[in-house]
Amino acid sequence: MTGPRDIHAYLAEFEDIPGTRVFTAKRARQGYHLNQFAMSLMTDENRQRFRADESAYLDEWKLTPEQKDALLKRDYNRLLDLGGNVYFLAKVFSTDGQSFAQAVSTMTDMNFEDYTKMMVAGGRSPEGQRSIKEGR
Amino acid sequence: MAIITAGVASSHVPLLGVASDFGKDADDYFGPIFAGYEWTREWEKAEKPDVVILVYNDHASAFDMRIIPTFAIGCGERYKPADEGWGPRQVPDVEGHPDLAWHIAQSLILDEFDMTIINEMDVDHGLTVPLTMMFGKPEAWPTKVIPLAVNVVTYPPPSGNRCWALGEAIARAVASFEEDLNVQVWGTGGMSHQLQGPRAGLINREWDNMFLDGLIGEGDHLRRIPHIEYLRETGSEGIEMVMWLIMRGAMGKRTRALHRHYHVPCSNTAIGHLVLRPDNGEGLDMTGSDTVHAIAAE
Repeated sequence: MTGPRDIHAYLAEFEDIPGTRVFTAKRARQGYHLNQFAMSLMTDENRQRFRADESAYLDEWKLTPEQKDALLKRDYNRLLDLGGNVYFLAKVFSTDGQSFAQAVSTMTDMNFEDYTKMMVAGGRSPEGQRSIKEGR
Repeated sequence: MAIITAGVASSHVPLLGVASDFGKDADDYFGPIFAGYEWTREWEKAEKPDVVILVYNDHASAFDMRIIPTFAIGCGERYKPADEGWGPRQVPDVEGHPDLAWHIAQSLILDEFDMTIINEMDVDHGLTVPLTMMFGKPEAWPTKVIPLAVNVVTYPPPSGNRCWALGEAIARAVASFEEDLNVQVWGTGGMSHQLQGPRAGLINREWDNMFLDGLIGEGDHLRRIPHIEYLRETGSEGIEMVMWLIMRGAMGKRTRALHRHYHVPCSNTAIGHLVLRPDNGEGLDMTGSDTVHAIAAE
């Protein structure tokens, strides 16, 4: 046994990582229908129905008004806050014909071109990005 | 008897599948990534594994939020490439090895690893991209594959220590299978990457290379790295590297590196690739294929 025995301490540490939402059980429960909606876009038939009338398609799912609004706006950071997980939301990326990196860049403070340049130059440094409390 | 002859670690970025499928694997962007796998492609031709136990994670393809198995083993006859939102990859179906898979599943459960058994599922880029990287574009994959899916999406994923111990149990299970088989274990995913939030794009070259170093030789300190360290140092999706520890655990006490490759970036991700030989006195050399049968007969 090398894992943490205290689940509360284990989960609390995740909140100390800058700019990151760890997909905990709490978020998984909050985003259940949001993520299952995204899964429905795994078939071409559903992708076409969704594209034809996004709002009507979303009304078929038990989403909160905030989740629906964030989906229509493709506000992915907010969707993460509302329980979305990136591997599920990726079904929305591909329905939109967006590459993974393109969609991911919208969650940062950079446009896609600058984000791509950052990645080619070696990516985002972990310096100062490890801990909010410790500022390291 | 069946023998684990090698371990392979590799990132499984979906864009690599796209690059291969659309013939971009030699361009300026992808060329240096694929070049680092050329050695392995030639080596695999000589090794001719009968079965690959392929450790990967499903990315909301076969498993969604309804069922979240921590460790699942594929015992089916064959698996189709999944439609991940843009149609299935045009790559061969993956042929399973139900006899060995069921033997491993039963052995693991008796060894106190309570596996989920999967008979039918589609397999996504997590499994098919490593096959592409190691084998290119054959008409049919040159090996049978036992998919071993690990939950690294919904927290908590299994600990690194548990993954390593599962690898050790897989090695015991393979060693008790009577048929002569040349078996490889692959660990996939990683290396540093974060696909979400304002911190997206994080890459930690130094940490990744420390991890690669740690897989070689006798050390076992990697099994004690806590989840929070992967998250802080390598990004939220860097946690996939716990899957490499299943491969490492299956190699036994000591390993020797045959090939190593590291490149930044591929899309949002650092590419890492390592080929290991168990180095526990067997003196394994698979060059020219039938060696496994000679060893088994000793």
